[in-house]
Formats: sequence, C-alpha cells, structure tokens
Amino acid sequence: MLLLQLLVNGLQLGAIYGLTAVGFALIFGSTKVFHVAHGASFTLAGYLFWWGMTALKWHWLASVALAVVAVVLFGLFMERFIYRPIQRHEGAFFTVFIAAFGMQIVVQNLVGTMFGRGFETVSAELSRSVEIAPNLFVAPIAAVAIAVGLVFYFGLNLFLARTQVGTGLRALSDNPDLVRIFGLEPTRLAQVAFALGSALVVPAAALTAVSQGINPGMGSHIMLISLAATIVGGIGSLKGAAMGGMLLGLAESVAVWKLDPQWSEAVTFVVLFVFIIFRPAGFLGRAQNAK
Amino acid sequence: MKLPKLLGLLAATSIFAASPLRAQDIRIGANLPMSGPNAEYGEQFAGAAAIAVEHANADKMLSKKLVLLIEDSQATPQQGVVAMNKLVNVDKVPYVLSAFTGVSKAIAPVGDKAHVVSINGGGVSPDLAELGDYFWNVIPLVNFEVQAFAPYLIKERGWKKVALIYVDDPAGEAVKKELEIHVPKNGGSLVTALQVPRASQQFSGIAAKVRESQPDVVFIASFGAQQAQIIKQLRDNGVKQQIASYSAFSIPAVLQLPEAKGALFPTQSINWAADALSQRLASDWKAKKGKEPNAYTANYYNAVMVFVKLAQALEKAGLPITGENLLKQRLRSASFDVAGGRMVFLPNGTVSMPLQLNEVDNGTTKVVKANLAPN
Amino acid sequence: MWAYLNNLAVLITINAILAVTLNFVLGYAGIFSMAHAAFFGIGAYTAALVAIKLGGGFLLATAAGMSVAGLLSLALALPALRVRGEYFVAASLGLQMLALTLFSEWKAVTGGIGGITNIPPARFPGFEISSPPQYLVLSLVCLALVMWGVSRLVNSSFGRSLKAIRDDETAASAAGKNVAVVKTMAVVVSSALAAVAGSLYAFFLSFINVESFTLDTSVYLMAMVIIGGTATLWGPVVGTVLILLLPAVLSFLPGLPQTEVGSIQQIVYGLAMVLLMIYRPGGLWAAKSKAGA
Repeated sequence: MLLLQLLVNGLQLGAIYGLTAVGFALIFGSTKVFHVAHGASFTLAGYLFWWGMTALKWHWLASVALAVVAVVLFGLFMERFIYRPIQRHEGAFFTVFIAAFGMQIVVQNLVGTMFGRGFETVSAELSRSVEIAPNLFVAPIAAVAIAVGLVFYFGLNLFLARTQVGTGLRALSDNPDLVRIFGLEPTRLAQVAFALGSALVVPAAALTAVSQGINPGMGSHIMLISLAATIVGGIGSLKGAAMGGMLLGLAESVAVWKLDPQWSEAVTFVVLFVFIIFRPAGFLGRAQNAK
Repeated sequence: MKLPKLLGLLAATSIFAASPLRAQDIRIGANLPMSGPNAEYGEQFAGAAAIAVEHANADKMLSKKLVLLIEDSQATPQQGVVAMNKLVNVDKVPYVLSAFTGVSKAIAPVGDKAHVVSINGGGVSPDLAELGDYFWNVIPLVNFEVQAFAPYLIKERGWKKVALIYVDDPAGEAVKKELEIHVPKNGGSLVTALQVPRASQQFSGIAAKVRESQPDVVFIASFGAQQAQIIKQLRDNGVKQQIASYSAFSIPAVLQLPEAKGALFPTQSINWAADALSQRLASDWKAKKGKEPNAYTANYYNAVMVFVKLAQALEKAGLPITGENLLKQRLRSASFDVAGGRMVFLPNGTVSMPLQLNEVDNGTTKVVKANLAPN
Repeated sequence: MWAYLNNLAVLITINAILAVTLNFVLGYAGIFSMAHAAFFGIGAYTAALVAIKLGGGFLLATAAGMSVAGLLSLALALPALRVRGEYFVAASLGLQMLALTLFSEWKAVTGGIGGITNIPPARFPGFEISSPPQYLVLSLVCLALVMWGVSRLVNSSFGRSLKAIRDDETAASAAGKNVAVVKTMAVVVSSALAAVAGSLYAFFLSFINVESFTLDTSVYLMAMVIIGGTATLWGPVVGTVLILLLPAVLSFLPGLPQTEVGSIQQIVYGLAMVLLMIYRPGGLWAAKSKAGA
C-alpha cells in the first residue's frame, strides 16, 4: 500500500535527519553555540566518504574513517579558532551565527570547486530494494539507516549518562562553573562536544551518499532541517532532536501521498512554523520565553 | 586602505580592464552552462561550437578571425540574463548561441530589444518558436518529437498507459502539455503526471507513486544529472517498466548509467557519413572527445556555421555584420548545407528535420528506428 | 562599457535599498530576519503583475507591492516576535523557504522558474522610464528617499524605543515600551520598503523569476549589512558597493577561470563574514563613525 511504503521511506529519511539533528543539538545544548556550520560538516563528510570510495577506491570503513577524521578536525577548528575568539570578545548569538554561516558558505564553495557542482552517488547494492510484501519495496539501506540511527542514539545516551566526560557535557549546559568544581575543564568539554557532535553526521552523510546522492549545496539543506528538528523537538533535548528529525523525515515522505511532490519540502517548514507559533518549546524542550 | 580610495581603484581597474575593441576580430557570443549541474551540456555545446570556429578560421571563410566569447549561464534564467547583458552591452556581439528553454525565454527579450540574434540548439519547448524574430532554433522542438514518438510507443509497442515525471521548468511543462495532447490522440492514457523540483534528488516517494499508477511506460522529462538520478531510483525502487524520454537523454551521465539500459528516446536523425562536412566534424569530435558525436554536436556546429555563411554573404555585399542584417539575410536565403544534410529555416525561425529513435546501450546508443515520423 | 557600469550602478542602488532596510530591523532593532529576500520578491512580483495585468504605472505598482509585502510581514511578525532570538531566526528561515516554494510552484501567478517576462517599462503620468540612465536616476531617488525615511525613523522616539529594545528587551519593557508593537512596526516598515526595491528590479530587468529571491539572496543581503556595518546609515551602502563590485572585479582579473568566479566571490564574502565577526563585529563602517548611530 502506498502509505505504508511512504512511511518506510520516511523512517529511512528520518533516521538520517535525526542523526544530524542530534549532533547539532549536542553541540548547542552543551556549549550554547549556534553551530550552523554543522551543515558544512555534513557536506565534508559526504564528499570525503564519496571520494574515498570512488576516487581512492578504499574499503567503506576506511572511507568512513577518513570522513570522521576530517569532520572532527573541522569541528575542533571551528571551536578553537572561530567560536572561542568570538566568545572571548562579546559572543553575541548574532555574531556567532554569522561567522558560522560565513564558514558554511566557504566550505560549500570549496567543495564545489574541488569536487564539482553536480550530483554524485556512491553505487552500492544496498540501495536496491527488495519486494518484501506486495507493493512494498524496502532497500537494505533503509534497515541500515534505521539500525545505525538507533545504535548511535543509544550509544550517545549511554556515553552521556555513564561516563565522566558525558556527565560533564550534560552539566556544561546548565552550569559551567559547577563543571570546574568537579575538576573538568569547560574548554575541553566544549571540544569533546564539537568533536562528538560533528562525528555524528558521518553515518548520516555516508548513507545519503549511497541512497540519494550528494551535492555541494546539501549542507545548507540539511542544516535547515536539523535546525527545524531541534526546534520542533525542543531546544536542549537530544531526544527531542531525534524525534524532531524523525518527524520531519516522515512528514516529508508522507506528504507525497496526498500532495504534489513539489510541495513536500514546504511541509518541513510548515511544521516548523506551526511549532514556533503554537509550541516554541517543541516536544520536549524546556519552555524558554521571549527574552 | 581608506574606503574612498579603494572604491576609486576598483572603478579604475574595471574601466581599464575592459577588452579593447579590436578591429581584427569578428566576435560572436555563447551563453551556455559552463558550471553547475548542467555543465555537461555546456561542455558539449561549447566544444562543438569551438570546432566550427576552428574550421571557419582554418578555411578562411571570413575576412577576419572568428572569435567565440563564452559566458556562463549555469542553465538558470537569471544567470543567463546577466551573461546576455554582458555579451550584448559590453562585448557587443551580433549573434549569441543559447541553450535551455528557461534561459532562452529569459534572454530573448534582451536580444530582441538590442537586435541581437540568439540561436538555440539544445532547448526544445514549443514556446521557443514564439520568442520573436531575433530568436532562432536549429533543433526540432519537442512538439515534433512527441508527435512522432507517441504513436510509436502507444500503437507500435502497445504501451498504452503512460506515467510522466517532469521537472518544474518550462521545458518539463512543455513536454507535459504535448503528452496531454498526443497520448490520448493515439489511444493511450496519461495515468499520472508527477512534477519534481529542479534541485530535487530524492525520488523514492515518486517511484512509489509511479508503481501505484501501474503504467506500461514511464516518460521522464527532465534534463542533466537529475535524469540519471530519477532513472536509478526508479529502478532501485522496483519500477521495472520501460523508460522513455526526449532528446535530453543524450548525455554521458544517462548513457553510462547501467540502470538506463534499454531506455528509448528520439533525436534528430544525423547521417554522419552523408558528406565531407559531416565526416570532418565527426572525426574532429572523436579526436578531441574520444566519443561519438551526437545531435547536439551537429546543432551547435551548425549554429556557428549558419552565422559564418550569413556573414560571408553580408561581407560579399559590403554590409556590416549586425543582428539586423543577419536576420534579413536569413530571410533572403533560408537553406543551409550543414552537418547532417540540408537544413531549411521556416519563416518563424525554426527548422524541421527528420527524427530517429535511439536506445541506450552500454554507454552509447543504437538506432532502433531510422526514420521516426508522425503517423 | 558605460552601459555595463550603468547596469551595475542600478543593481548596486537597488541592493543598497534592501541592505538599508534590512539594517533597520537587524542593526537597529536586533531582529534577525532571514526572510528579507522573500519581501523583495513579493514586491517585485506584485509590481510586475500590476504593470502587466492592470497597466499600472510605477507609483501604483510600487504602492501595491509595499502594501502586499507589509501585510504579509504582519503575518510573520505577530506570532514570531513572541519568541526568542534563535526562534525568530528559524521562523524567518521557515518563512523564506515557504515563500521560495510558493514562488516556484504557484506558476499561474509567478511563472515558476520560467518567471515573468516582458514587464513593461516604468510609467509615470506623462513620461516613461526606458533607458538605463533614467533607471539609475529613478533608483537613486528611491534610495535617497528610503535612506531619508529610515534616518528620520531612527532618530525619532520610535527609533529610540527600537534601540532600547535591541539593547535590553526586559528593561525596555519595564520602562513601559510596548515591545511587541514596536518590533512589529519595524518589521512591517522594513518589508514594505524592501518591496520598493522589488518594484525597481522588476521594471529595470523586465524579467523576474524565483532565482533572484532565494535564501542565498537573503544571506547575500545579510553579508552586505554586516560587512558594511550594522546600526549605521551608510554602512549598508558601503557593504553593498563592496559586495557587488566583487564579482565584477573578479571577472576582469586575468587568469581566473570564468566558471569559478561565482565560487570565489562567495568564498571571499564568506571569509569576510567570518573574519569580521572575530575582529570587528561592528562592520567596516563602524570604525568610521564615532558614537555609533
């Protein structure tokens, strides 16, 4: 049945969106930095994975590792050389946002110049679907995406709950001074947040490269969605971001059931708008009023 | 540096860096997608035009050297207008090669106002016939293609139910309009028409809807890299039906895609062995690109050659080479011996040429029907 | 050559109007709108349709554009201004994307990607603006009027309320200012004036389509304001001139592949945004003005 098919597609898309959104939420939640260059991390990860697979012809694990290294370095670079200096001066939300945006633009164009501006895909058997029920086609990659999403999400939660660094990260968003009292350095924790949050885009980007293809502009697209997912889910909540991402993926996919395909992207923004107007705290966010 | 000084310096550089008017060249322009997702087309078109310029200069067909100035339209209407303004107002060319329906519709008024000829060898919307006297087409427009193709698909192959995926752009809409007329006319039915945004890459939902409509054949009306994406995701998502399209399929991205094997699409019928001119173009193209030439090769070669022949006639008559004079000359003598045979311009600036039907086969095409004619 | 420079000057003037009006909400009111290009577009489409379907002249078309843009901006301002900074950014982003989808898909009105072509020249009772130098004069007049209007507003009590709110909303509210009303009015004014630029653009190019009104454009405008200098009257104009001259200068540099000019231009202003935020968040012009605006 068409609706069921679209729901399954939506779950795959939602897993990808959820992973990216959780990465963004982790960074914003811990460090309060509105890291809109997160989209640039996604672009870098996708392209390096693709390059590793097609140009260098490495095994997929090596390509993934390459992407992780690059993306972590990028996240750390942003934290150390861009955000920290700004926050030392005045750190207005606005200033950070613009700097991140500027970086996004730079990365998008560098990638375009180096790798070309067209669409690229990584060919894999994973993307070929199998008819598992009458008129229900599911590709292995959908299962992979959902599994990966779940593994990383629960892994992250375990990390945050059980390890010292993880606890420190959670404390950082509430009270940086308290963190110092316990012997943890806020700066170091911020770096961990950026590294971890950025690394989370790698599975999402790799899956995207295999299933729908990548292009230099996808960074801003995925950034918008992560932003929307974080708000819909509730700023400050990782669970919310994951749920938000899943919801938006489902909405975008299922929209095609009744609407013409060209309106499906608009659905994401209508959902965002509705939440901002009626429930700015999102599903699970702490209610934060207009300042 | 102080701001006013900086601005002054910038202004000065712009003025002095402008290309001086060299009386020893004859310049024509090209407004083609040299970057972006459709750069593949631009590369082909520009390559073919460059060969024509080479031949014209090697054979000394004109009194001065012919130079082709290429501007990047990125296949978007807005960039096309910016590029056209530069060609018309700064470079002051009398003749511009154009491509893509959307771009052409946007630049035509610019050329029309300035009496500069634009000539299209790639876009196929029937609207391109209505863009004024200064807009010419050397490619048969898609209404001819669909008119000839529909009976083949529906009557000859018996695929009565047609599903359409079309890009939301004047070109895609033109194909939809034509199919809406010709499919029922031949006894078929258009079971679904799904529109996709130009930048879209995600087609699993579309594939699901196509499957639901249970067509006999899926017609794709898009262009560039997106076509390959659509084909691949259709096949990945269980759409097994025959795939058909129009001439835009003739790019490597589509031809080399394994999932595109067997897809059918019409193009102009070009006999590369017909005469010395065509053979020379074919061998030069193969030497430079390592591939077989296709209809676009001929079209953009011919677009330049039409200018050369008109300019030759003007030079002989002692008239300056302006857009106005080129138009008048074309109205005087409308037939040209070009690559592929003889081309005749109709008064509205279009040409009618024979069509052939091709099938995608492992990186290249094979001709399925040498003469695809409407009924 | 002069024709090219003339065209460039008109585009600079039109973008300067957009930058000055964006600065009004961004620099003076601290309202972070990413949807400015959407109002630019609304102004342009409205003006074009009034000119084509109703045979309206420039004044009617522009007034229509301003009304529609102003009204629609109310729809954004009223609900969204209740929430905090980050949320407003997201809401304006959402609005920009929705507007973009509408511009692309509502083909009956906007022509989609094909756009609206053959827009007639700007007509006034008695004469017609048809040549590029005339458009330059018209645009400069509009820019002057807009800048005059903005500076009057900024220096009025309304402007003082805006700045108070920007600096500390809670305090301003405690001092009795109706924060929501003031912010809403700022958004409406800025959007309506952006529509003036839209009208000029439509008449000047005689062709408009969705590609001029995308998120990229909103970001571009933001770059002009930020690089030039927020909260100053001339800062945005400086930013506009610099950013618009950049591709022109780049395209004349020998040795740069034509196909990369667009990328390089974007990289340059992306880097400029980053560096300025680190070293001079007030923008280039802010260094000049002593007490700020």
